[in-house]
Amino acid sequence: MEEQRLITLENICKEYDGVTVLNNINLYIRKKEFVTLLGPSGCGKTTTLRIIGGFESPDSGRVMFDGKDISALPPYKRPVNTVFQKYALFPHLNVADNIAFGLKLKKTPKDEIARKVDKMLDLVNLSGYGKRSVDSLSGGQQQRIAIARALVNAPEVLLLDEPLGALDLKLRKEMQLELKSMQQRLGITFLYVTHDQEEALTMSDTVVVMRGGHIYQIGTPKSIYDEPKNAFVADFIGESNIFPGTMVRDELVHFCGTDFPCVDAGFGEDKPVDVVVRPEDILLVGEDVGQVTGVVKSVLFKGVHYEMMIDAGHSTWKVHSTSMQPEGSRVGLAVVPFNIHIMHPMKEEAGE
Amino acid sequence: MMKFIKRFYLGLILFFLYVPIVVLIVQSFNAGKSRANWEGFSLRWYQELFSDAAIMQALYVTLAIAVLAAIISTILGTLAAIGIHAMKKRPQSLMMTLTNIPMTMPDIVTGISLMLLFIFTKVERGFGTMLLAHITFDTPYVILSVLPKLKQMNKHSYEAALDLGATPTYALFHVILPEIMPGVITGAMLAFTMSLDDFTVSYFTTSPLVQNLSTLIYSQARKGIKPTMNALSALMFVSLLGLLLIVNRRSKKADDLH
Amino acid sequence: MNNLQIPAWGVWAMLGGLAAFIAMLVIYFKRNHGLKRPIFASPYTLWMILFTVLPCILIAYYAFTDTNGQFTLDNFKNFWDSNYDMNKELIAMGFNPAEMGFSRGTVNVDTLTYSLWMAFLCTLICLVLGYPAAHIMADREFKLGATLVILFVIPMWMNFLLRTIAWMSLLEDTGLINQVLGWLGIPPVQLMYNSGAVLLGMVYNYLPFMVFPIYNVLNKMDYKLSEAAMDLGCNKWKTFYKVTLPLSIPGVVSGITMVFMPAVTTFFIPRMLGGGSTEMFGDLIERTFLTANNWNVGSALSLIMMVLILLSLGLLRKTDPEGEGGSMI
Repeated sequence: MEEQRLITLENICKEYDGVTVLNNINLYIRKKEFVTLLGPSGCGKTTTLRIIGGFESPDSGRVMFDGKDISALPPYKRPVNTVFQKYALFPHLNVADNIAFGLKLKKTPKDEIARKVDKMLDLVNLSGYGKRSVDSLSGGQQQRIAIARALVNAPEVLLLDEPLGALDLKLRKEMQLELKSMQQRLGITFLYVTHDQEEALTMSDTVVVMRGGHIYQIGTPKSIYDEPKNAFVADFIGESNIFPGTMVRDELVHFCGTDFPCVDAGFGEDKPVDVVVRPEDILLVGEDVGQVTGVVKSVLFKGVHYEMMIDAGHSTWKVHSTSMQPEGSRVGLAVVPFNIHIMHPMKEEAGE
Repeated sequence: MMKFIKRFYLGLILFFLYVPIVVLIVQSFNAGKSRANWEGFSLRWYQELFSDAAIMQALYVTLAIAVLAAIISTILGTLAAIGIHAMKKRPQSLMMTLTNIPMTMPDIVTGISLMLLFIFTKVERGFGTMLLAHITFDTPYVILSVLPKLKQMNKHSYEAALDLGATPTYALFHVILPEIMPGVITGAMLAFTMSLDDFTVSYFTTSPLVQNLSTLIYSQARKGIKPTMNALSALMFVSLLGLLLIVNRRSKKADDLH
Repeated sequence: MNNLQIPAWGVWAMLGGLAAFIAMLVIYFKRNHGLKRPIFASPYTLWMILFTVLPCILIAYYAFTDTNGQFTLDNFKNFWDSNYDMNKELIAMGFNPAEMGFSRGTVNVDTLTYSLWMAFLCTLICLVLGYPAAHIMADREFKLGATLVILFVIPMWMNFLLRTIAWMSLLEDTGLINQVLGWLGIPPVQLMYNSGAVLLGMVYNYLPFMVFPIYNVLNKMDYKLSEAAMDLGCNKWKTFYKVTLPLSIPGVVSGITMVFMPAVTTFFIPRMLGGGSTEMFGDLIERTFLTANNWNVGSALSLIMMVLILLSLGLLRKTDPEGEGGSMI
C-alpha cells in the first residue's frame, strides 16, 4: 500500500493569532481514494484542505505529493484543483470561459479547449449552457460548473470544500450520488470536506473525523459507525446513547445500575469507561425480561421508525424501533453483547 | 390625491434646482451683454467663445487636470483599495481614518493647507501643484467606491484563479480587476466630476497665470461674467448630458444581451 | 501654453514614486506569491502622508508660531479679540487701550457664530426639504426613483460658481423675479445682498447632498420591515416614525455632515449673493490669508474650524458607527 500514497501530511501545525487550529496532523491519501474530512465547524478541516491547496502555509510540518515536498509551492503550481464553498465562479466570464480559464493559462490550443469544455459540460449535464452568464444559473447548476471548471484541468486530486452546503436537501442527495459516480468513472482522488455525517458516510472510502485541530478517528464509513473509538465520534456519527460505566472485567461492563455482558476486553478491571449504545440496537422487550426497565416518556414518529425516550431511573435511553409503545407504558430494554461499544473515557483536550 | 401632491412636491424641488440652469442657457443666446434684458436671439457668444484665448486656455487646464487627476487617482485609489481590503483590522481602520480626513476636511482647509505646503517647500504654484491637489482630494472617492465592490466579491475568487493555474499578477488583472470594474469606473467618474467642478482647492493651489474655468469665473465675477462663459458652460452641460444618455443606452443594451 | 509648467520635482516625484512602487510590487509578488496584498496601499499611504498629514501639521505649526517661528498663542488670542495685536502695540507704546475706548474686538467670534448659525439653518432647511423628497423617491411604488437621482445630479455639472451667479440675475433689483413682480404691479423688492439670499444660495447648492444619502439608505431598506410593522399593528405614521425614521438615521447623519461642513466654510456664495454685506468664516479665513497675508492667524482660524468640524463629526459618527450612510456613491 505504501507506494500508492499520493498525498501525505506530516506533523502539520497551524495557529491563527495564538489559537491552535491544527495540532500535529498526520494523514495520507491513497490514489483514487474518496477521503472525507468530517467534523463540526472550527475543527480544522477546511484549514487542512487549504493547506493542501496552497492557500495557507503550515507553521510546521510538510505536505508531500507523490514523494515530493510541495509545502513551498504556490497554489498555481500544485497538481490539485479546488471546488470552493460558494463556487467562486468568475461573474465577468460566461460558463464556457469559466471552464476554459485553467486551460487558457496552460496555453492549450483553441480547438482543444472548445472540445474539452464541451466534454465537461456534457459530463455535468449542462450541454449547451456555454454561452450563458454565470449569474443566470441556479445554485445546482453553478455547482456543476464549479466542478467542471476544476475537473477540466485533469487534476490528480480534487479538493472539495463543503461543495453541497448551499443546495437544498433533495438536490444535495442527487449531487452526492453524481459526485461519487463521477469520481469512480474518472478515477480521480477526491478530498472532501463536510460537517454532514450522512454525506460523509454515503460518499467516502475513508472518513477522517476531526475536532479541535485533532484527528479523532480514521477509517471506512462502516468501521467509524460501528466501532467509534470514543464518545465524540460515536455522538457525532449517528445518534448514540453514551453512558459512563465501569469495566468489571473482560466481557462484562457495569452501567445504568446493571452488569451487561459485552464482547470487549483489555480495559482492565474496575476501570471507568464510556459505553455507547446505538438507539436502533436497543430491543424493546417485556418488562420482566429486560436488562433495564423504564417508562416511555415521549414518542416521536420519524418516518421509518419511532423515536422513544425511555426514563430508566438514573438514565434516559433513546430508542429507535418500528413498533411503538404508548407514552407512560413500562417497558424492558435489552442489548445484545455485540452491540455494546466500550471505549476509553474522553480526555478533554486543553485549550478547547 | 396623495400621489399628485408627492409628484408636485418633487416637481417643485426639481424646478428650484433647474431654474438657474435654464437662466444661464437662455442668457447664452441673448444678443446683448446685459444679464437682465433680453435683446434678441443670437449665437454671437458661441462664435466669440472660440476666439477667447483666456476661456479656451482655462478650458484646456480644466480638462487636462480633470483627466490626468482622474486617471492617476484611479490607479492609486484602486491599488490602495485592494491593499486596504487585504489588511488586518487595525491597520485597515487606520487607513480608513486617513482616507476620511480629506473627505471630511472643508475644501478651504484642504486648499490652504496644500498652499502652505507648496509655499513652505518653495514649489512654484501652477499646473503641477493644482494637479497634485486634485489627485489628493480625488483618490479617497475612488477608494470609497472600489472598496464595497471588493467586499462584495466572493473571497475565494482570487484563490480559485490561483488554483486554476493563474499567477497572482494574472489573477489581479483577469479576475479581481474585472470583478471590481464597476466600482473603478464609478470612482473614476466621481474623481473626474469632483475635479471638473472644484473651485476652492484650485483657487489656493494655483498661480494667477494658470487658471481653470472656476478660478477664471471667480476672477471675472466682480466685473461681470462674459456671456461667452455662459455659452461655454451651456455647451459643456449639453455634451455631458449627451454622454450620459449614450452611456445609459449602452449599458441598457449590454443588459439586454445578458 | 508656455505658462503651463509642471515643476520638475513634481514630475520626478510622481514618476519616481510610481517606479519605486512597481519595483516593490514585483519583488513582493515573487517572494510571497502575492497572497498578501496590503503592500498595494503603500503608494497611497505615502501620498496621503505627503499631501494630507504634512499640510495639516503645517497648519498647526503656523497656528502656534509667530512670524519669527517662535511658539505663541497670540494667534488664538487674535481670534478671540480681533484688536489684540493693535492693543498690544498700544500698550507697548505706553497707552492704555481700555482708557482709549478700545475694548475686545468680537468680529472673528461673531463671524464664527454667524457662520454656524447660517450653516445650521441651511442644514435644517435642506433636511426639511430633502427628507420628504428622498422618501417619495425611495417609495417602492414610485418607479422613477433612479431617474430622479440622475436629475438631481445633472445640475451639478454646471459650474457651481456660474449657477450661483445665475441666481444673481434672478434676484437682482432688475432681475427676473423683480421684473415679474413689476408686471404684477408690485414695486421691486431688495432680494440680494442679505442673509436670506446667502441662505438660498447655500440651500440650492447643498440640497442634493442631503437627498442622496437619505435616498440611498431608504432605498436599500427592506420594505418587509415596514410591512412587518404594519402587520404588528402600526398605522402608516407609526410605521414611519417607529421603523423607517430610526433606520434612516445613518443617511440623515451623513446628509447633515455633507451639508453642514461645506456650508460653514463656503466663501463664494456669501461673497456673491451677500455682496460682502455679511461675512462668513470661509471669507474670513480666505481674507486673512490672501488679503491680510497673515498666515499665522489664518492657520489658527483654520485649525479652529477643523477642530470644530472633527468634534461635531465625532459626535455624529457615534450615531452611525459603521459609517453605512456615508455614501453618495
